[in-house]
Amino acid sequence: MNAIEIKHLSKSFRGMYAVNDLNMTVPVGSIYGFIGENGSGKSTTEKLICGHLVPDAGEIKLFGRDYKDAGVRVRVGALIENAGCFPGSSIYQNLMMQAINLGIENRDEEIKRVLKIVRMQDNANIKFKSCSLGMKQRIGIAMALLGEPALLILDEPINGLDTDGMKIMRDILVDITKSYGCTVLISSHILGELEKIATHYGIIRQGKMIMELSAKEMESRARVFTSLKTDDMKGALSKLKEKYDNVREEDGYLRVYDVDEVEEIVDYLYKKGYVVSEIRKNKIGLEEYYIELMSKKEK
Amino acid sequence: MEKLRQIKFESPTFTKRIKGMLGVDLYRLFHTPLFYIFIAIAAIIPAMLIAMTGMTGPNGEPSTPLFTNVWQAIAADIPIYGFEGIEKYANMNMVFIFGGIMVSIFIGHDYKSGYVKQLFTTHAKKEDYMISKSLTCAFTMACMCVSYLFGGVIAGLLTQISFAVNVGNLLCAILGKIIMSLGWASLYTFLNVIFRRYFGVSIASSFFFGTGILVIGVGSIIGNTPVLNVFLYGSSVFACLSSNLWTLINCLAVSLAWTGIYILLGSHILNKSDVY
Repeated sequence: MNAIEIKHLSKSFRGMYAVNDLNMTVPVGSIYGFIGENGSGKSTTEKLICGHLVPDAGEIKLFGRDYKDAGVRVRVGALIENAGCFPGSSIYQNLMMQAINLGIENRDEEIKRVLKIVRMQDNANIKFKSCSLGMKQRIGIAMALLGEPALLILDEPINGLDTDGMKIMRDILVDITKSYGCTVLISSHILGELEKIATHYGIIRQGKMIMELSAKEMESRARVFTSLKTDDMKGALSKLKEKYDNVREEDGYLRVYDVDEVEEIVDYLYKKGYVVSEIRKNKIGLEEYYIELMSKKEK
Repeated sequence: MEKLRQIKFESPTFTKRIKGMLGVDLYRLFHTPLFYIFIAIAAIIPAMLIAMTGMTGPNGEPSTPLFTNVWQAIAADIPIYGFEGIEKYANMNMVFIFGGIMVSIFIGHDYKSGYVKQLFTTHAKKEDYMISKSLTCAFTMACMCVSYLFGGVIAGLLTQISFAVNVGNLLCAILGKIIMSLGWASLYTFLNVIFRRYFGVSIASSFFFGTGILVIGVGSIIGNTPVLNVFLYGSSVFACLSSNLWTLINCLAVSLAWTGIYILLGSHILNKSDVY
């Protein structure tokens, strides 16, 4: 069973398609990294799943049920754009309102639990308007975590967080998926952070899903490359191109792709009269893979 | 993953859903100053109106009294649908004008803060929202009616004007107006759902309808006819100091009918359009 299954979903605003014939599959228990440029349709898709927007066409299923099913929707937690809290009310009051809304019985205990998860147990009485951006994001997460949701939808939750905040957020998400199997759909521009936690990826462009893959598939597609420096970069580049298919100069280094043996490259260049002064083996990460994919699509 | 397989999706009953959403609204109502400010405003209005009765002119001569009896500040002697002077118009019906502004602020904050996203994420049924807001705002307006009554009585005691009244008629008038709170609250909820992206327009439209100007206009043209009781303002006027049991039945029927209509229309709009 999939936590989210979307088929041929479309949504337009004044004739312009924000989401266009989108298909999406999010497995249960996964952390699904939803990637795309600004205006690619990530937030619109998330709002459609949450029922904030009405689709023009298509089908959305959550845990095998229609997304409008009251039983499944009460188990969805979301942080989209902002925490959705009343600024004049305290953190505790905001959480209490959401706990009442969800019909949680042991509300005080549940509020304490989620505040502890987001490490804000000592700040419950602070007014929401007095909180920093990082705190507001964490309160938004706490709101979404109330009642142990089966599906958590997070739109750019690590925006504006410092390094420490990002780590806290990362730990929270990994913990909830492991502890009770919550499925997380998370969109973010910070691909390096996403890479550390995501088990699946979906790449959206101009409202269309251009690729869905698991972290394992991503790993297998990740290309190995060797970056090196010599005293004559231009000469070395032309010699390397004679032997290897994929060589280019980038960021002041020569990059040789898809060659496992570093020694082989060094030997080859030495025989041609070039001395390698610096060399290291690299792997293409999510960010580079994404940029490469986008540039291919652009062409 | 074992726990994952145990996740169950039980559809909440209508009662549980409404209890949840109504609980949020009432919690918010009692934990923010808005409710108490409007309760205070409701008490001040009759006090000011009655105080004007004892005012003197620029040369010290007594001005024409606005009311000769305290209860005229609560309801008119007879139902007058057209405009026949401020003394016939300025009574407990004014609660519905200020109540409209209160509803606009209350619902407007839902959208302004973004909290409405939480509500609509977890509540798929849009009628839950309409019902909950209508009931919460009706409760507030009913409280404002009671506050208005106390404000009027205290001001009457201080100015020492007459309290003579038929208690039965008075009770029917007050109860009738309290019953009308539900219809008015659902109208304002509906208006705020339509103009949810335009806070200023929401307040202006609530104020416009709250004054009853449309019914007053029609009443001035077609005359003082009970046909106008089919409208919220008409029935609110009908709940006057000559009210009886029939008045209460009329108010109940009109208030419930309009509440039903506005909840259905509001739910339909929310279902068919983007909510945030």
